[in-house]
Amino acid sequence: MRPVAIIGTGQTDHARRRDDVSQPELVREAASRALTDAGLRPADLDAVVIANMELFEGRAMPELWVGEGAFANGKPCMKVATGGTSGTSSCIAGFHQAASGLFDVVLVVGFEKHSEGHTQTGMALTDPFWDRAVASGALGNFALSISQYMAERGVTEEQAARVAVKSRRNAARNPHAHLKDADATVDDVLNSKLLAHPVRLMDMCPQSDGAAAIVVASADRARELCPRPAWVKAAATRHEQPYIGDIERRLLTMRTLKDASRSVYAAAGITEPLQQFDVAEIYEPVTYAELAWYEILGFCPEGEAGRLIEDGVTEMGGELPVNPSGGVLSANPVGATGVIRMAEAASQILGRAGAHQVEGAETALVTGYGVYAWADAAILGSAA
Amino acid sequence: MSERISVAIEMAQGWRYSSGDAMARFSEGLRRKRIEALQCGGCRRRYLPPRPVCGNCHLPLSDWVPVSDKGTLEAWTVVFLPFLDARTGEVRDGPYGMGLIRLDGSDATLNHYLAENDPARLAVGMRVRAVWREELRGAMDDILHFEILP
Amino acid sequence: MIREGSINIPFLYAAGKAGSEFLVALRDRQQLLGSHCPACARTVAPARAFCPGCGGEEMPSVDIGPGAALVSWTDVPGRGVFALVRPDGADNAMLHKLLGPAEGLRPGSRLRAVFADERQGHITDIEGFEILGEGS
Repeated sequence: MRPVAIIGTGQTDHARRRDDVSQPELVREAASRALTDAGLRPADLDAVVIANMELFEGRAMPELWVGEGAFANGKPCMKVATGGTSGTSSCIAGFHQAASGLFDVVLVVGFEKHSEGHTQTGMALTDPFWDRAVASGALGNFALSISQYMAERGVTEEQAARVAVKSRRNAARNPHAHLKDADATVDDVLNSKLLAHPVRLMDMCPQSDGAAAIVVASADRARELCPRPAWVKAAATRHEQPYIGDIERRLLTMRTLKDASRSVYAAAGITEPLQQFDVAEIYEPVTYAELAWYEILGFCPEGEAGRLIEDGVTEMGGELPVNPSGGVLSANPVGATGVIRMAEAASQILGRAGAHQVEGAETALVTGYGVYAWADAAILGSAA
Repeated sequence: MSERISVAIEMAQGWRYSSGDAMARFSEGLRRKRIEALQCGGCRRRYLPPRPVCGNCHLPLSDWVPVSDKGTLEAWTVVFLPFLDARTGEVRDGPYGMGLIRLDGSDATLNHYLAENDPARLAVGMRVRAVWREELRGAMDDILHFEILP
Repeated sequence: MIREGSINIPFLYAAGKAGSEFLVALRDRQQLLGSHCPACARTVAPARAFCPGCGGEEMPSVDIGPGAALVSWTDVPGRGVFALVRPDGADNAMLHKLLGPAEGLRPGSRLRAVFADERQGHITDIEGFEILGEGS
């Protein structure tokens, strides 16, 4: 397989409701910005990959409807739908398409308009024989695992609240973020509404309308078109068994994320992630998950994630800034969310992250998280 | 800003699902308050819900093993946000307790409601027991919820 | 063993820039709108924000119809006659209903948009297309 790189990114402004645009128009905003960022015209694209969870909007074949917005007319186009990993998996599919030699330039666009459908219902449509009677959606699923994580690792509500504060403060410097609060405090989080013990409103990701896109290019085209491409050093995706009860000690072990990350670490020669990564854009659907991922991703030993956030290690200016964009906690249009992670990490390498740029970022980690089980990981770097 | 038009549509989402043999036997068992898991001859994992093939070894499963209606609370939460019941589309008001319960004799945990909804009275490791519906119908909600054992 | 059920799910779709303009014109002016791409010298119906041909975003709205030509049709028992119709001034066809029986129809048959008395900014503000006669 040949080397590939990300040479441009584009995002919409994410918000609770983007009723100023239709779904195709929303997709076009992100696609158009990515093309401009890459310095390309629509005719330069060889193929298009779209990420979307169509059940949330109740619209069949979204890749047909929004394809025009993604410049897909007359080109090979496919859709990826794997819950929260849809975005990262679609990017990885785009990497594979360019790496295989089939295509030189691939546009990947993810979008979701949660305001147009009923996400809670979509999430509850699980196995009708087994857990539909007791489904409580993403929120209940997260909350259930958190008690176990807190009991075993001693993580506190205050430590989780620090994650929310970091996220909303970082988001204040990101023009695209949905939830921004430069003045957020731990007390604000601890006093926000209790949704499902111990998860409070500010601990949880929002449901956003938004789209994000990246342009993937083969090595030759990347060198030709981009002064400092974000090279794909490694990428991996892992799926799990189907039921929540199949997955032992979920937040504690998260074997899909562990497997995917160890696979990309090995491929890219990462042995000390905290030292070797300059920035990370990880898929944290809830504050407690970000802490759990610190341990799973090897940023710290098990049981020390709380200390990591307390010591500011993952803040802007810390040893490893995690989610300078504000992360999923600050914008979550599900089909786009993983593409946002990839676009943000690529922007850091490209040196185009603006007010939330990590100076001199050369190696970035990206992760994706889907339903309660699936995971993706990718490493981007400034050197081919 | 020019006028923004939106179109509201309410769509009925209907379904008709086949259970397969393993889940049919399991569901029939519930009518007699009997819980059974399928065990893998390779990794020895006892699966709930029962299914025809082991997800780890990919071996066909056919060894049924009995599972108790008592177990241990592996994880819990109390949901305060009103949530939609996917069986009916009706809203289920909070607060209600939910748990991941490892039934004695099973390796998988079961996601179900708890009779207790006070966070101060719930802890990982508690012993729990199924409270059964009076009129059993051969479905997961034949178990109303789990009560905490002293 | 079989399990059956049904729930109702609400959706609320934004028509967006071009879609809103199209629906407002139906409601307020009883007028069909298309979008003209100067690069492709082509007008598409209904109005949209970007050209399906070249991807261009300079797409000024233009009045089209109410006269139209029949492209193809199907008679669905109990539901009526559905047709692809090409409004005068447009280069493509849009899907709608025909008001009248399918007898004697042929590609090119002349049609005219009929607007509902009570309009609310919805595609059904066009009641359907009435059949005027055979085209040339």
